[in-house]
Formats: sequence, C-alpha cells, structure tokens
Amino acid sequence: MKYLPLVWAALRRKPARTLLTCFSIVTAFFLFGTLQGINVGIAKIMQLTSVSHLMVMSRVNQGAPLPLAHAAQIRSVPGVTAVAPFNVLVGTYQRPNNPVVIIGTDLDAMLKISADLMVAPDQAAAMRRTRNGIIVGVTTAKQYGWKIGDRVPVRGITAKTDGTTDWAFDIVGTYTLQQPDWATRIFANYDFINEAITTGKNQASIFYVGINDPAKSAAISQMIDDRFANSPDQTSTANEKDYLETTLRQIGDINYLVNGVVGAVLFTLLFLTSNTISQSVRERTAELAVLKTLGFTDAAVQWLVLAEALALAMVSAALGVALASRVLPWMTSGPTLSAQGIGAMHVPGLVYGAAAVAALLLALISGVPPAVRARRLNIVTALSGR
Amino acid sequence: MAAVVSLQNVVKSYTRGRQRVEVLHALNLEVQSGEFLGLMGPSGSGKTTLLNLIGGLDKPDEGQITVAGERLDKLSGSQMAAWRARHVGFVFQFYNLLPVLSAERNVEVPLLLTKLSRAQRKTNVAAALALVGLSDRASHKPTELSGGQQQRVAIARALIADPTLLVCDEPTGDLDRESAEEILQLLTILNQKQGKTIIMVTHDPRAAAYATRLLHMDKGTLARDETRTAA
Repeated sequence: MKYLPLVWAALRRKPARTLLTCFSIVTAFFLFGTLQGINVGIAKIMQLTSVSHLMVMSRVNQGAPLPLAHAAQIRSVPGVTAVAPFNVLVGTYQRPNNPVVIIGTDLDAMLKISADLMVAPDQAAAMRRTRNGIIVGVTTAKQYGWKIGDRVPVRGITAKTDGTTDWAFDIVGTYTLQQPDWATRIFANYDFINEAITTGKNQASIFYVGINDPAKSAAISQMIDDRFANSPDQTSTANEKDYLETTLRQIGDINYLVNGVVGAVLFTLLFLTSNTISQSVRERTAELAVLKTLGFTDAAVQWLVLAEALALAMVSAALGVALASRVLPWMTSGPTLSAQGIGAMHVPGLVYGAAAVAALLLALISGVPPAVRARRLNIVTALSGR
Repeated sequence: MAAVVSLQNVVKSYTRGRQRVEVLHALNLEVQSGEFLGLMGPSGSGKTTLLNLIGGLDKPDEGQITVAGERLDKLSGSQMAAWRARHVGFVFQFYNLLPVLSAERNVEVPLLLTKLSRAQRKTNVAAALALVGLSDRASHKPTELSGGQQQRVAIARALIADPTLLVCDEPTGDLDRESAEEILQLLTILNQKQGKTIIMVTHDPRAAAYATRLLHMDKGTLARDETRTAA
C-alpha cells in the first residue's frame, strides 16, 4: 500500500497517454461486458422459451397481418388447445419519445396456453368485465410506477374510428412469470382495440397457439400450415424456440460473433497497453535506476512496473464492466423487446469474473516484458545515459 | 578515527565495443569516518567509477572494498540494495528527483523501504526538509523549484535514512555560483556538525576547496592525496 504513490506517480507522468489508454481499455471491457451480457441473455431466452407454444405468422412476411378468421380454423386442428390472436397497438405514453406497445389479445386463451403466466383470478375476471382494461407485467408496472386502478392514456400512431388517436386504458391487474423481470408485456382486450382501429381490423399479426403435446409441435405446426396452403394468407408456424432460433440464425452465430469481436478487441488492446507500459518504462530509465540507487531491489522495481500495468488494466476494466452493467439493462429495456416478453438483460456475475481474468492476463502479458527490462536495468549504465 | 571506506588493490574495467578498458588499476584507498573527501581529476580518470564502487552501485573485477564494515565485493544484488538503503545517500549532478512527486514525497521515497509508520515518515521528512531549509516548499514539485532548491531536496532525500556515507557526484555541476555555494555550505554543515562522511566528485576547484581532503586521480590511479583545511 505504501508504494501506491509511486505507482500512481508513474501513471500520472503522462496523464494524456494514461487517460487515452485507460479510455481504450474501458471501451474494450464495456464491449466485453455488453456483448457477453447479450450472449448470455440470448442463451437465457432460448432456455426460457417453450416448444409447447406455437406461433402462427404470415408466410409472406413475418409482419404481415393474418385474418382473424384463421383463429377458428387453427383451433380445429387436432392437438390445439387454445388460440390467442395478437393485435399490436403502438403508441406513446406521456411523452412522444416514450413508446409503449399494447397487445390486444384474448387473456383467457393466453392463460390456457401459457401456464407460466400468473394472473390473480379476480383480476382476470375484472379484465373480462372491463372493455378498456389492461393487464400489465409487474416489471413494466414497476418501471412506470403503475398500480391497479390507474388510467393509462396512450397516443396511438394511427387514427381511431372516432377520428382521434387517443386511447385510455384502465389497469385492472398485473401478471408475473417464473422469471418476474421478464413480465414486461401489456395485454388489452382484442375486441376493444379491434373495434376502435381503422386499419388492420379483424386481423392478427400473430396467433399464439397452445398444444396438448409438445413432442408433436412440429407435426401440429405442419398441419396448421397445410390448412392454409391454398389460402391467399398462407401461414408459417413454429414453436417459440424454433422461431427464435431461426430468427437468430438469420443474424448469424451470435456466440461466434461475440467471441470474435471481443477477442479481436482484446488482442488489439494488448499491443496498445504493451506499448504504453514499454514506452513509459523507457522514458523512466534514469528514474528507475535512481530507485535502485536508493535501495529498491531489482525485484521491487520489477513489481512496481508490473503494479502499474495491473492498476491500469484492472481499474479500467472494472470501469468498463461497471459501465456495461449500467448501460445493458437500459439498452435492452425498450418497448420492442418488452412487447416480445423479453426482460432487460444484465451483465451476469460470470462475466465480471471473466473480465477480471482477462484484465489480469492483459496486465501480465503487456506488463511482464517491460517489468523484466526494469529488473535487469544496470544502475551505472542507466545513470550514465548509455 | 576508524576507516569507513577501505579499498585494497581494486581493479575495474569496462568493455567498450570489443575493447576492454581498465579504468582503475590496483587502487588502494582509505577514507576515515567524518572526512569530507574531494575527488578531482580529468574526464576518464576513474572518479565516477570509484564513486560507484564505494556507493555499492558497481562491483570491482578484482580487489576488496569494505564500506561501513561490509565487504561489498561479496554481496549479492539484493544484499547490496539493502546495504545501500541503510548506509549510503546519493546526490547527483542532475538531482534525479521523481518529477511527478512533490518535494516531501521525493524525500520520503527511501523511507518506503523501512518499517516506519506513515506518521513517522512524515515527521522525518519534515525534519529533513527543515534541515535543508525547504520546509515551505514541501508540496512543490521539482519543476516548481530552482536548481539549487532541487539539489537541496536531493540532499534531504540522501540524508533521510541517516546514512553512514554521503556520495555526491558533481553536486554543483548544474548550478549557478550562488546556489553552488549554498549547497557546498550545506554539505560542510552536514560534515562538521553532524559528522557525516562525504565523498564528492567535482571538476570545480571552488567546490573542491570545501573538502578536508583532496584526491587527484589520473588514468585510474591516485596521483595526489592532500589533506587540507576546509574553506
């Protein structure tokens, strides 16, 4: 601890260079934390998604609406237990830059399909009684400070039948999930939204389908798609897990991309930090020789140089990961992901450990060569400037 | 008086390119405790090499060096470092202070190697700075001090661990006449009032006049040894 002023002094010698190197390491570890957080988050999504729920979408375009009439036909497919249409209302709450997504659906069907979805029976009954009622995920309710009985005014982006774009919903209940921070959706009554909208009436962007045997999800999906094979609104059905996997595969191998980017960034950083420490030691040849003159042993001088590298790498890495832990939940708590039922992602504990190990390795690989040079420094040669 | 420094048949050579150059030839020397020894001689005569050997910065090729009761030629690198911390204070021509540390932090550096508490270190640093007349400049960095003041900080650093021996390599070589006088007077006080043994390399006859004994070196040997009354 008493040597800390010497380490700190060495880092302060060229403040601009130290700050720039520190900034580079912070950026690299911010990326490291964020990307690994996303990677782990995606793995968690895959773990939580189920093969017992099917999603029926348009074969032409995932965003294209399907007629509501499809619901009855899907329900008649053997093995299907319930069908919930999704009609999505996009608007803003309180401020134009505060978007919300409200899903018009059949709550009773949703409760049959998703055993994970937990709503108190009296609140489910209230939803049946209240046309403009909404059931809000506990995470979203907490985010906005909403409670049961609150009225939520929403400004839609398309006109209603009454000529306005203003909606008013009453919160009649909240829902939670086994993973409560993923309870982010807002469910409204399909009929209430369907009656008031001017475009997309009697349509659904997705049908959420429950089945009685998850092992038959592929066969049931095929049967549903076959049923609409000759229709102008052909469908593409997949269980939730397969759907997500297909979507992610379109982006690429996330794990490979994340590790590739992080690896490249850390590898580049190695040269940068190495260069900074080496240059710093070269510039301080005489000072290090003076320390030896004053009685510091070769090993002590070596450890001082290594401590500089460790301090620079560890402090900067900690800042970078801390920044990632603040920014990642904020980045992933937007309405688009919330509407998908995906909660905010967090930097997992494992990543903090991995970042500490990476920073330690960075410090050792970049710090050991200059530290060894400092150890071998000959006092007489260094002081004579030879 | 007891000999604090004793050199017997010391030989030291350096390799320059492919050539081996013998800098000191079978040198014998004794320095008594409390002496203020001036080392003079032309460039390349071996003054700094001799100073480095006495200060434990280098080892002889042959011969024995005993300083403060320790055979330096027998010590390992880490033993030599510990010995330097305990027995020698160095004062260089270009001060060699750590530029980002304040005067008091610079003076404190040798004490980091001791077991003194922070409070004790602070007390000792304050006393050393007071001794060199720089109490009011304690928080200043070297760049905020004049050459003479920097050299006084260097002297305070050299004295802080209460060494047996002060080794000064051209301590006034980079100073104006007035500052040089102040530094030499300070060294004289340390020698006369505190009994510090001082060995000083200098080219300047005015600086040499402060020494109580003057050694003239030439081509790696002691050419003349004069004992004198200090200025």
